[in-house]
Amino acid sequence: MKKRSAELKTLSRYQTTDRKKKRNSDIVYVAVISVFFAAMAAAILFMPRSDESQLEQRKLAKFPEITVGAVLNGSFMDDVTLFFRDNVPMRDDLMVTAARLQEFTGFRSNDIKLHNVAIVEAEEIQIEPPVTETAAEPVTEVTAAAAAEAAAPPAADVSAVETAAPVTETTHVTEETEPPPEDDNVNILNNGIAVVGNRALMLYGGNFSVGEAYAQVIEKYKKALGDKVNVYCMVVPTSSEFYCPESISPYNASQLDNIENIYSHLSEDVVSVDAYSALQLHTNENIYFRTDHHWTSLGAYYAARAFAEAADVPFTELSTAEYDMRTVEGYVGTMYGYTQDIEIKNNPEDFVYYVPKNIDYKVTYYNYILGDGNAILGMSDPINADFFLDFSKSKSSLYCTFMGGDAKITHIHTSTGNGRRLAIFKDSYGNALPQFLFGSFEDIYIMDMRYFTYNAEDYLKEKGITDLLFANNTFHATTRSTVKYYERMLTQGRTPAVTTTVAPAAASTPVTSKAETQKTASGTFSEMAEKKTETSKVTEKAAETTTTVPAAEPPQTTTVPETSETVTETAEITENTEITE
Amino acid sequence: MIFADLFFLYIFLPAVLILYVFAGFADKFIGKLRRRNRRGRFSANENPVTNAVLIAASLLFYAWGEPVYILLMIFSVIVNYAAGLLIARKEQPSKAALAAGVTFNIALICVFKYSGFLIGTVNLLGLSLPVPDIIPPVGISFYTFQSISYLADVYRGDVKAQKNPFLILLYISMFPQLIAGPIVRYGTIAEEIIFRNLTLSDVSEGSFRFFIGLGKKVILANQLSVISEQFLDGNLDGLSTAGAWLGLIAFTFQIYFDFSGYSDMAIGMGRCFGFRFDENFNYPYISRSITEFWRRWHISLGSFFRDYVYIPLGGNRRHQPLNLAIVWFLTGLWHGASWNFVLWGLYFGVIIIFEKYTLLKIADKIPKVFLHIYSIILIVFGWGIFYFEDIGRLGKFVKIIFGASGNALYDIVAQNAFTGNLYLLIAAVICSLPIGKLIRKGYENSLKAKSGAAAAAFTFGKAAASVLLLTVSTLLLISGTNNPFLYFRF
Repeated sequence: MKKRSAELKTLSRYQTTDRKKKRNSDIVYVAVISVFFAAMAAAILFMPRSDESQLEQRKLAKFPEITVGAVLNGSFMDDVTLFFRDNVPMRDDLMVTAARLQEFTGFRSNDIKLHNVAIVEAEEIQIEPPVTETAAEPVTEVTAAAAAEAAAPPAADVSAVETAAPVTETTHVTEETEPPPEDDNVNILNNGIAVVGNRALMLYGGNFSVGEAYAQVIEKYKKALGDKVNVYCMVVPTSSEFYCPESISPYNASQLDNIENIYSHLSEDVVSVDAYSALQLHTNENIYFRTDHHWTSLGAYYAARAFAEAADVPFTELSTAEYDMRTVEGYVGTMYGYTQDIEIKNNPEDFVYYVPKNIDYKVTYYNYILGDGNAILGMSDPINADFFLDFSKSKSSLYCTFMGGDAKITHIHTSTGNGRRLAIFKDSYGNALPQFLFGSFEDIYIMDMRYFTYNAEDYLKEKGITDLLFANNTFHATTRSTVKYYERMLTQGRTPAVTTTVAPAAASTPVTSKAETQKTASGTFSEMAEKKTETSKVTEKAAETTTTVPAAEPPQTTTVPETSETVTETAEITENTEITE
Repeated sequence: MIFADLFFLYIFLPAVLILYVFAGFADKFIGKLRRRNRRGRFSANENPVTNAVLIAASLLFYAWGEPVYILLMIFSVIVNYAAGLLIARKEQPSKAALAAGVTFNIALICVFKYSGFLIGTVNLLGLSLPVPDIIPPVGISFYTFQSISYLADVYRGDVKAQKNPFLILLYISMFPQLIAGPIVRYGTIAEEIIFRNLTLSDVSEGSFRFFIGLGKKVILANQLSVISEQFLDGNLDGLSTAGAWLGLIAFTFQIYFDFSGYSDMAIGMGRCFGFRFDENFNYPYISRSITEFWRRWHISLGSFFRDYVYIPLGGNRRHQPLNLAIVWFLTGLWHGASWNFVLWGLYFGVIIIFEKYTLLKIADKIPKVFLHIYSIILIVFGWGIFYFEDIGRLGKFVKIIFGASGNALYDIVAQNAFTGNLYLLIAAVICSLPIGKLIRKGYENSLKAKSGAAAAAFTFGKAAASVLLLTVSTLLLISGTNNPFLYFRF
């Protein structure tokens, strides 16, 4: 201080005012900054947090438990850091603000923004070996959880539905006895996403040789099932085929060529269904979602009509007399999660579905219970609920309105009584089809290729199936893992691979909840998810620290909300639908 | 821990700052008592409490990412502390102790950073030794170099050997500069370690500097990294020439804003704690020659090699070309245990030798604009060598940027990324120019002006800019787009 005051004395008066000004400036600046910084820190520390992100449809990081081991290997610290990065108060709103900010980096020429286009390597990549779980332990957990849930008041159940939001999807069927072949490669076919105006297009890579293999595996089913069963192959084009501007077309393979390639490898015994032409006629209608990678009910309607014609079954045409059209507004689908593109977020669309009015039907679900990495742990007891489930509160999951997702076998018994029994092997595109087929078949079995643990031949024969439809979109029909799934379904055990069922406690209450321990499966493109986690990893310190980041796959499926939701649904069923055996 | 992270920004840093303020009061109180007893004489550590807080914070900071390697760092501090004392034990500094100490540091960095690389290289000659898989401890390149500079300076008599081992620990581990530099010389902060007078002006300047650095890293570098990764990390078969250039230019700006942003944050935080580190970057992309570039880029590294390698080897008095070759070989190698970094260093070495005999002699006669263009092209091309650790990929990439690969020259992906990031790229160019210097000058002039209006306006602008930088950076950190850490190879 002494030194300083001496210094000050030697300064001229002019310089003293100079200093004074500087000091005042510093006081004001430091005060403003301190208050603002403290406020930000306090907000981040003390404001309420959420366990999950609605926007991204995933659970957020949890604060880790402290253990000596976790501290020594650093994982505790990494998890704490991750927690504060991932679980930020008001995260969803802030994410949207950030996405808005990022629009300032430039402009969209011709209204187009490309996300990872063409940089995606269209090479075979090895997917991680699936986690093989022994069923015993997790199932007990499920039991406990189910019991707890059953006892819990409905209010708790509602929150359970919402928090049952899934984790990053990696779809592989796991068998306990037989690990999947090591060369279980997934061919990344998507070439990135182009946002054109307010429509997101997942660009298509295409692969003729896989398409040929896909046709061949369907032939195997035909051979195994014989003449009595009609086998149909319907490959559904996706939106990029019809809405891709010329300038991007080099990165978007022709789906028509790929579909024709598949059909050209089918024998006359398998009926190919021309969904392509049916959809092409209606491209000026809303047959695909702009914000989601799926098709709309309307798109599925045109394909279902083409299928019914090919199958020579009665078909209930779309009319207000026959269907009750229901609309949920404000749908923003998976494409926002993939791209974080604000144009998608800013342009929500309507989710429309059609409930048949004049047909009685009864729906039974056999849900797969999934563990980490979507390994199948077991299967629930049959659950009766409606085909259409109310997801209007969870807007980004609206596609789950159909059956609640993929990880299940769905049996629909209708009052049609024409002796035709349909089985559908499908990906998530197939979920929108059945709503139009209730009047066409007396039984419909819907099975997802990724979640089916029985021997397909035995199962179909046992159910007395007369018609078998393969309904896949073009992406999946030319993806190697799809072919592998279908091949495995033919060869896997004659006895059900999954023997464990949910505890009796659940059985007594048909409306059980599988609670949070069940990871959910989803009907999105698994390959997309794989790639997305690849590209959007946060690299910190070293490449090895990979964390799930916002852009990670937002799987849009939850298990059937066998909670309060279902309670009401079941009630409705008992009221409206009297099933005559 | 890294600076550009919500945990560091809003949990760690505020906690340390609060503790530091209280520790400052404690130091003042202790100092008063002590001076009363000792009749006003200064002790060898006037800031025991703040120093203790800084050491504890630094150890926690390091342990957060490297819980085991912290022992290595402490071990290194102990050895260097002892070596410093041994060197200065007698009137005549001990050459043997210096040699032992420097050898220890070099051995440390060789084992933990280069052993895999060295053995891999030896194996190229036909051996098949097992290649150890060691992930280098973060910051090892920085703290071993700081240790070497300390020992050398003690030997030369530039600084006194520190008798308090905790102060050496503080010098080596101080968290603002621990993991990404700058390489602070012991002499720079020797006095501040034992006595520092933290003023409001320091806090004001330091915190502003920190926000600038944060903005450079999070707003510019992280956004630019999206472009560079999109074009440089993918399959080169599908990369167009335009895309290759766009990716490379984006990386050129990314690494500058990332690295200089880190240095700004380090310098700013150091200032807030009462330390004045030397500048590390001085607008390198406005250089008119590569020689000048290296005087403006990562200054603390360049001056380290100048003072501790080049000059001791004989500098320009003896076998200068050899000295230069050694310095540039080492400069390259310092950046990572891979041959492309060596190539990158030698690339600049060759250019600098070439410039010495040609360009620098006639530079006055050449229009400046050509010199700028010449320099920036060589710098950008250099970053290509720096980026690709796989020599095969590097070769392919070089072919692509010169249009000799057969790939398309131009495609919509490059065009879309260019227009989609045009404003970002323009901002990057502007922020590479010495605009900040001009504003600073205006600020200083405003303080001298008679009327207070200008000063008030500048103060308001400074505060508003800081608030904006912090808000935008926080939002971008939350949204978690790319946030790479480039220095784990250093």
